[in-house]
Amino acid sequence: MDKDMAIEVRHITKKFKIFYDKGHTMKELVLFKNRRKYEERLVLDDISFSIKKGEGVGLIGRNGCGKSTTLKLLTRIIYPNSGEININGRVSSLIELGAGFHPDMSGRENIYINAAIFGLTRKEIDAKVDEIIDFSELWDYIDTPVRTYSTGMYMRLAFAVAINVNADILLIDEILAVGDARFQEKCFNKMREIKARGTTIVIVSHSLEQIEAICEKSIWIEHGKIKAEGEPKQIHKQYLEFMKNGYIE
Amino acid sequence: MKEIYAYREMIFSLVKRDLKGRYKGSALGFLWTFINPLMQLCVYTLVFSQIMRAGVEDYYLFLFVALIPWLFFSTCLTGGCVCVSSQQDLVKKIYFPREVLPIAFVTSQFINMILSFVVVFCVLLISGKGINVLAILCLPVIWIIEYILGLGITLIVSSVTIFLRDLEYVLGIIAMAWQFLTPVMYPRSLVPEKFMGLFLLNPMTPVIEAYREILYYKQIPELRTLGHAVFMGVALLAIGIVVFSKLKRDFAEEL
Ligand SMILES: Nc1ncnc2c1ncn2[C@@H]1O[C@H](COP(=O)(O)OP(=O)(O)O)[C@@H](O)[C@H]1O
Ligand SMILES: [Mg+2]
Repeated sequence: MDKDMAIEVRHITKKFKIFYDKGHTMKELVLFKNRRKYEERLVLDDISFSIKKGEGVGLIGRNGCGKSTTLKLLTRIIYPNSGEININGRVSSLIELGAGFHPDMSGRENIYINAAIFGLTRKEIDAKVDEIIDFSELWDYIDTPVRTYSTGMYMRLAFAVAINVNADILLIDEILAVGDARFQEKCFNKMREIKARGTTIVIVSHSLEQIEAICEKSIWIEHGKIKAEGEPKQIHKQYLEFMKNGYIE
Repeated sequence: MKEIYAYREMIFSLVKRDLKGRYKGSALGFLWTFINPLMQLCVYTLVFSQIMRAGVEDYYLFLFVALIPWLFFSTCLTGGCVCVSSQQDLVKKIYFPREVLPIAFVTSQFINMILSFVVVFCVLLISGKGINVLAILCLPVIWIIEYILGLGITLIVSSVTIFLRDLEYVLGIIAMAWQFLTPVMYPRSLVPEKFMGLFLLNPMTPVIEAYREILYYKQIPELRTLGHAVFMGVALLAIGIVVFSKLKRDFAEEL
């Protein structure tokens, strides 16, 4: 893999098996060995792309076209049926915010637990904890249990941890709708700052403007294939045009 | 391997939480770690010195020094099988090396066993049986071997259970049968010659024997026993690593 590449995706195909009955018991496995009914849904069909270090890339496409699936493949929660993914550097994903939070523990304790799940060591977390608390703006609540937080506060804390873990590659899935308008802007500015520091960013967002403001490239996925990729403004124009016509038909 | 080391803080934090949470909300709290084995000891003493005479000198000690390590292994089988599936929220949503979960589970059980050994030592001293300090120095070796064994078995059962849910229930019976097939409650000399091959295939046989040699017979364990145990432990861990890494890719989709 090229040294200045952050992500290389080569001919990946992803199928989901959709079982009509989710049977895992022995009876089912023995009795219906090859007869468990399922349908295979091809979500990504021979997709290839590459992303340079420090580049910002937006993934666009209609609902269910496989944007989240692509991010999950990049973060290695799931694996492709065929093809190859090469990643250069530490990945942090803002896909499911707040997974692994413990409601009965305080905000501060959850920062430690959550950052550990991102692969940080104790020392690294100690050095970051104040920055994380400052970013979340939850000074007065940081030592109360997380279950007493509002949804917005909860998301703010989760975002603050995820964005402060010093990753080389940041994967973001439609989570910029965090907190109130002012906090959203703060998150957005933070992303620009991180990007300016050389972090590679891959975003899925409904807001095409946000992608245009951060990314150098957009990848448009349609029917499991890459329909177009290139300069965001141009691609978005084609995309909007297509969607308008698509809906009229 | 390097990656698991990078995630060490996650392992610590899971272990700490498990140990802290174990007896949370109970009046005696952490003391239960010590009370539990003590109570068991009382029951065994009562049964085997008063009701069922076993014909082995100090049978309750003979049993107790083998039972504590056995319980660790048995928990790896019956509890370890759900150590990944019980964290499905994390597994489905976040990337981390999946091995972290079984490692944390086994480590937490292991620490619990080491704490139980405080009771074992106390009982050996108070009962007048005494301990052989030189032999005790071999104990950490056998601890490490058993840890490796426990980790191997947990890697296997935790990954297979995700694809075969019934295993969780079958393992209770397997653990019971396995206990009877291991010289926990009887000396190996009782085993008929024709079954000896099977007994030597059982990775827990040399481990239990080594504990007993050290603590009950107060001897430095035979090198043959130790070598046998090391070989079995490493073999089982290798199988565990292979099975787990084959299956782990599909965890998130199966859960
Ligand atoms: N775990 C799963 N099992 C079965 N089908 C799935 C699974 N995850 C996603 N899909 C299907 O894959 C397609 C793409 O989903 P997704 O990547 O979430 O789309 P989006 O582009 O809206 O983020 C959808 O049709 C969805 O139903
Ligand atoms: Mg999505």
